[in-house]
Amino acid sequence: MPYVMRKPTESIIETPSGEGDDIMGEKEPLKKLIRAIWVFNWFNSCGFTELLPVVASRWDMERFGMIPVGSPRHADVLIIAGYQTFKSIKRAQRIYEQMPDPKVVLALGSCTMTGGMYWDSYNTVKRLDDYLPVTMYVPGCPPRPEAIFEAVGKLIEMIDPKFLEKKR
Amino acid sequence: MEENELLEKILANFTVDARVQRKRRVWLSVDKDNLLGICNFVKQLGFDHLSAISVTDWLNEGKFELTYHVWSYTHKILLTIKTKIPRDTPLIPSVFPIWGESAQIHEREMHEMFGVKFGGNPDLSPLFLEDWEGPPPFRKDFDTRKYVCEKYYREEDERERVYFLSKM
Amino acid sequence: METFTPLYDTYYNLYFGPAHCGSGNFGVKLRVRGEKIIDARADPGYLHRGFEKLMEYRVPIQNAVLSDRLCVLEPLSWNLVHAEAVEEIMGIEIPERASYIRVIMAELTRIQSHLIWFAAFSMGTGFDAGFKLAIGYRDYILDIFERITGARVYPAGYICPGGVRRDIPENISRKILDTLDYREEEMIELFHDLLYNPIIIERTRGVGVLKLKDAVRLGATGPVLRACGLKADVRKDDPYEVYGEFDFEIPTGRKGDALSRLKVGVEEMKESVNIVKQALEKMPPGDYIHPNLKRINLWKKMPPGESYARIEAARGEACCYMVSDGHPQPYRVKFRGPSFLHMIPVLEFLLKGTEVADVPAIYWSLNPCPADMDR
Repeated sequence: MPYVMRKPTESIIETPSGEGDDIMGEKEPLKKLIRAIWVFNWFNSCGFTELLPVVASRWDMERFGMIPVGSPRHADVLIIAGYQTFKSIKRAQRIYEQMPDPKVVLALGSCTMTGGMYWDSYNTVKRLDDYLPVTMYVPGCPPRPEAIFEAVGKLIEMIDPKFLEKKR
Repeated sequence: MEENELLEKILANFTVDARVQRKRRVWLSVDKDNLLGICNFVKQLGFDHLSAISVTDWLNEGKFELTYHVWSYTHKILLTIKTKIPRDTPLIPSVFPIWGESAQIHEREMHEMFGVKFGGNPDLSPLFLEDWEGPPPFRKDFDTRKYVCEKYYREEDERERVYFLSKM
Repeated sequence: METFTPLYDTYYNLYFGPAHCGSGNFGVKLRVRGEKIIDARADPGYLHRGFEKLMEYRVPIQNAVLSDRLCVLEPLSWNLVHAEAVEEIMGIEIPERASYIRVIMAELTRIQSHLIWFAAFSMGTGFDAGFKLAIGYRDYILDIFERITGARVYPAGYICPGGVRRDIPENISRKILDTLDYREEEMIELFHDLLYNPIIIERTRGVGVLKLKDAVRLGATGPVLRACGLKADVRKDDPYEVYGEFDFEIPTGRKGDALSRLKVGVEEMKESVNIVKQALEKMPPGDYIHPNLKRINLWKKMPPGESYARIEAARGEACCYMVSDGHPQPYRVKFRGPSFLHMIPVLEFLLKGTEVADVPAIYWSLNPCPADMDR
């Protein structure tokens, strides 16, 4: 995916002290936010309970411009929030194919890495990398909302600001 | 009605093996041919809530043991009825005419997981597993750890080598 | 006003599927003619992991950690079912202080589970403010769980066979009472008022009516059954732990439609707050785990036997049937989840003859949890 990935040499989020890329602690407004990231509504399995506070009021994601959408054509990010069974990975693959470029897959939890807690189950997917190209893994069982926000922050940084100009 | 009264009423009409485990728990073991007769009798006494139907696979004896757990809202006693059927030809009449759709859905799940056939059940199509080619998964001769290690994990990968070492 | 008469009769299949804003992880195939539903067929299995087979390979202390992932929305209740089944086979009695702690955790889980129910119902019927407020209020309870067990969502087998894994910290009763007094009562009042909102009443009154005879035949339990008029609750009929010592009531409804179920849910939250306050006052000092089971390497054998444990989870009657034959691992474990009966027979029965636009209101008023249906 040549237009999305680049090494973050300069952060698009300017912080006053210049240390790091932590969007949670700083109160500076986000400058040069290229576009808001929309999340597809595929809230599946165990990570669902820690995604609900991210969508709702305590760790509100709408202040960063992220909303859950219903159609795959509107979405930028597909969050795989935990283990997938063979029945649901087929649907997730179809959704991934219908999302327009640039698109990102975010895998939460330890079940996507090596099988996790259900490593000996006959019906779950052991390594998500075999089925979908994963951009970022977030460890935890389930990962806390702060960890999800740090992952999203790194994602926002990876967006190349020259992408929109090139397409014109 | 107390538990001992219930035992006397049942023992007066049928020859079964019965015991009272503790307060509100009565366990019966019956023959396969008497099953429908006892179920009808017990339903008329007031046991109209079917809590669960379960199958246990006794590999050494070569039998499946079916258990029917019924609860009565008026007498407040839980009655468990157990029968044994041979493992090679697991065929038994269904209790759908007695207890309705709750019996039908439990039997559908047991048919998929163990392979027991219930005669008279209107719908025995697969419930949870899609495109499953293999033996019924909950039987004791299907070892899921061996199945999963052969099919999905690689022994050369150092993160997954530990799965090959764990035995029961 | 002119109306059209159709020339053809068209039937088509509509898939109210897994990736939908109005349903989680579960699909319903509808056969529709115009806007009326002729037939409905449930499509489960998106979350099936084969729990009952996984538990045959692990010893009880490992199973306690695995059992809280059975239903992700109320993990401590399933911990409790598994622990009760193991204790009945082993034939041990737990100390009284552990029993009081278990009751407090179970009731707090019931409150937070009902909040998710209201949030999901609001999200499905388009009421966004209710969704955000309910999830916001639920976080105060998750903070209490974090203080006691160490994690917000999955307590790593806190309620284990023999008691609980560690004692509650010292000033926690002050924190629980403060949370309940200032936050939760405010929230319960808010939901009580929201239910008298004319829009919600119009959407749920008379919708999805279930009569009592049908409810018992289809296997409904919990708030779905109590809204039809029968006063049946496992905490009063088949008491477990120390529920016999508390003074609480069982709310029931009369009509069996979606509005009665929601009202029963709000009243149950009030009764749970009541029970937690009584338990905090009456808690005796003592041990928090059975002294033989304090050290984990003493758990070597389970005597042969079988047991059937029943509790009242937030969604209905949750049961565990366990068989053991003398090995350290159980021979067969069977879980009966309340949502297994609500989402397949009851839903297919209720959806016949209604409109397509009523499907989210009926579906979410049954309080579904796809994880404990598939296990």
